[in-house]
Amino acid sequence: MRGHGFLLANYVPGSSPVHRAPLWAKFVLVAVCGGASFLIADWLVSAAALAALCGVFLLSGAGVRRLLRAVWLVAPVLAAIGLFQWWQLGGPVAGRIVLNVLLCIVAASVLTATTPVQDLLDGVVSLARPFRRFGADPERFALTIAIMLRSIPFIAGAFADVRDSARARGLERNPRALVLPVFITTVAYARQTGEALAARGLGEADE
Amino acid sequence: MDSILFDDVTVAVTMDGRSEPKVLLQDISLQVSERRVAVIGANGSGKSTLLRLINGLVVPSSGRVTVNGADTVRNVRRVRADVGFVFTDPLSQLVMPTGREDVELSLRRTVRNATERRAKAEAALARFGLLPLADQSIYELSGGERQLLALAAVLAVDPQILVLDEPSTLLDLRNRELLRRTLADLDQQVILSTHDLELALDADRVLVVDQGSVVFDGGPAEGAAWYKALCTREVARG
Repeated sequence: MRGHGFLLANYVPGSSPVHRAPLWAKFVLVAVCGGASFLIADWLVSAAALAALCGVFLLSGAGVRRLLRAVWLVAPVLAAIGLFQWWQLGGPVAGRIVLNVLLCIVAASVLTATTPVQDLLDGVVSLARPFRRFGADPERFALTIAIMLRSIPFIAGAFADVRDSARARGLERNPRALVLPVFITTVAYARQTGEALAARGLGEADE
Repeated sequence: MDSILFDDVTVAVTMDGRSEPKVLLQDISLQVSERRVAVIGANGSGKSTLLRLINGLVVPSSGRVTVNGADTVRNVRRVRADVGFVFTDPLSQLVMPTGREDVELSLRRTVRNATERRAKAEAALARFGLLPLADQSIYELSGGERQLLALAAVLAVDPQILVLDEPSTLLDLRNRELLRRTLADLDQQVILSTHDLELALDADRVLVVDQGSVVFDGGPAEGAAWYKALCTREVARG
């Protein structure tokens, strides 16, 4: 299984200013970029914001390769979205939409590349703590994020494996031969992960 | 005395296309208190189901299982704090991208302080010589390193009992030997299922499971011989 393909950059140990920045500031950066993607109306502003954020990513020392890998994985989807929007709404709008999505991906990558996962989970637990009064378990919020971080590369890897085996049998143009095995693998993986977490006593309600 | 008790346990599951439930284990009554116990038997004989009952991953259809007096259904949280479970394939067990993160995830429930958690995780990794690989992707580790990492992640929370479901199946000879030595040095009570008769010979007690029943319960040498004879008979019968 090719489980190492990852949409967001994995944590890269370091002591750059971005690494040392408080977690709340990085959360705010991601939230602002997410919000800004709805507000920015000019593709030039999007491009400038993206360039600035790429600069922040590179300042962390995570490297150009990691940055390109994070972007490369979504390139086909972005290309499809861009072409469709170009056809429907024209070049500037298509450019703005694609650049805004990239802005969100790079912002999330800055967060994950410069923050150890456990610190990230501790941050999520802190953010979720106010919901405890409504019966929510903050650790479960963190666990959900952890599972999400683990599941995305797995599903990407499963898709790559299934595509290869479909190619080997000359079925690469058959959507059923691609989608169904990925779906089955994903469900099996979800059950397996649930069992692994249960065996370790993770995700159980506090007594 | 602290031990695992199976009290007249039957496990049956309903399956698609079958009117009758399939019986995986039938009328199992056992007391397990030895330090090293091996469960051997053919594929599909019920070994894994027997082990999963100990951790509460499988629930008895009738009867009950208790671990140190705690019922595996009613006190599952306590049981899972006492019983660590290692799966055959470490990749199905390791949840986080790197070893350090996975061990830290194990510790989240018991160690709230992040600095203390990190130190404990490093100690758990160092115990198995995995510290230099702590930040490497789990997909870049060898099969043996992954299995040791899965062990480290489970042992980090210091369970009293360690249950391993066919831990050597995916390992080469060298890593199998490494695992064998590692298990021999553990303080925990170890219960494992295996097809590796050499590993079974290290046990104090061997259970042979066949078609959902424990058909042999005794010493390791006799157990291994009994299992070999059973296999020979079945192959001869065709």
